[in-house]
Amino acid sequence: MKRGFALLETIIVITFVTVSLLLLYGTFTSLIENKEKNILYDDASNIYEMYYLKEYLELNGLDQYFGVGNIIQLSCDDFSFASCSSLFDKVSLEKLYLVSYGLRDYNQENFSSTFNRYYQSLSNNYDYDYLLIGEFFVEDVYHYASIGVNVS
Amino acid sequence: MKRGFTILELLISIALISIVLLLLLRVMMSLEVINHDTSYASDDEIGRTEIIKNIEENFLEYHLNGMNIQKKEEKTVITFQMDEVKVLEIASKQLTFDGEVYSLNSKNAKYSTCIVYEYSDLENDYYLVRFTIPVLIDGVNTTSRDDLVFTYVGLKNEFTSYPVSYSC
Repeated sequence: MKRGFALLETIIVITFVTVSLLLLYGTFTSLIENKEKNILYDDASNIYEMYYLKEYLELNGLDQYFGVGNIIQLSCDDFSFASCSSLFDKVSLEKLYLVSYGLRDYNQENFSSTFNRYYQSLSNNYDYDYLLIGEFFVEDVYHYASIGVNVS
Repeated sequence: MKRGFTILELLISIALISIVLLLLLRVMMSLEVINHDTSYASDDEIGRTEIIKNIEENFLEYHLNGMNIQKKEEKTVITFQMDEVKVLEIASKQLTFDGEVYSLNSKNAKYSTCIVYEYSDLENDYYLVRFTIPVLIDGVNTTSRDDLVFTYVGLKNEFTSYPVSYSC
């Protein structure tokens, strides 16, 4: 008389349980990604901050970086006005990226994984020349927001 | 006659299930952290966005040029000097802007009537004004992601009038 499981039965059960748990894992992971998108990406406050920043930087030499590259990282060292650092600090802005609108192929190794994830979540449904992306660092978490820029 | 598991079968099963459970645990923990940090945001996310958008659009459309902040009983009243004067009233459970009432949906959440205000001069007669209405939730450490943050960058003229600082 045979009692208990055979190895084959055990493996089938384990496979079934593993597949189910992996499916659950996938669901939770996508849930977290969606939650992150809602909370950390394009918050209304950050969008308006980006709008004012864009308007102000346009008055202070943003146009000199048009045509320089497909994706460039900007900081206060790239602008000559004195209040730049205090402006960035007030809105908790760490970095700015000026990206050719609709750019899909770029060397992701040169940028942080959080930036890459944000950039890949963007749709390109509008008609801009560039996208100005802000990387905000608030309470140990990176937030992102972007605004379209047209070369006029 | 074979009975039950062999030790090898048992070890393989335990190892496989442990790996999967560890992965799940990691995901569950990050989900818990996100949920804890944003308990307000999940209930009032749409309302928060609507308020910010409405007030910021008014700043742009009617050209914000000054502000006056007053504490009246249990409320804080901000008068915006724009092409049309508009008023924002902050009470613990609701905001009223330009006659429109925005109520909080979250059961344990309330607005702090003690706003955080900053004003600074920029180059070429520009200025930055920024104020935050903190959101407080009983029993939860809220983050700035829950707060209502308003920013405006404008060009000074002879009528521009903002408080240099404010503390409640």
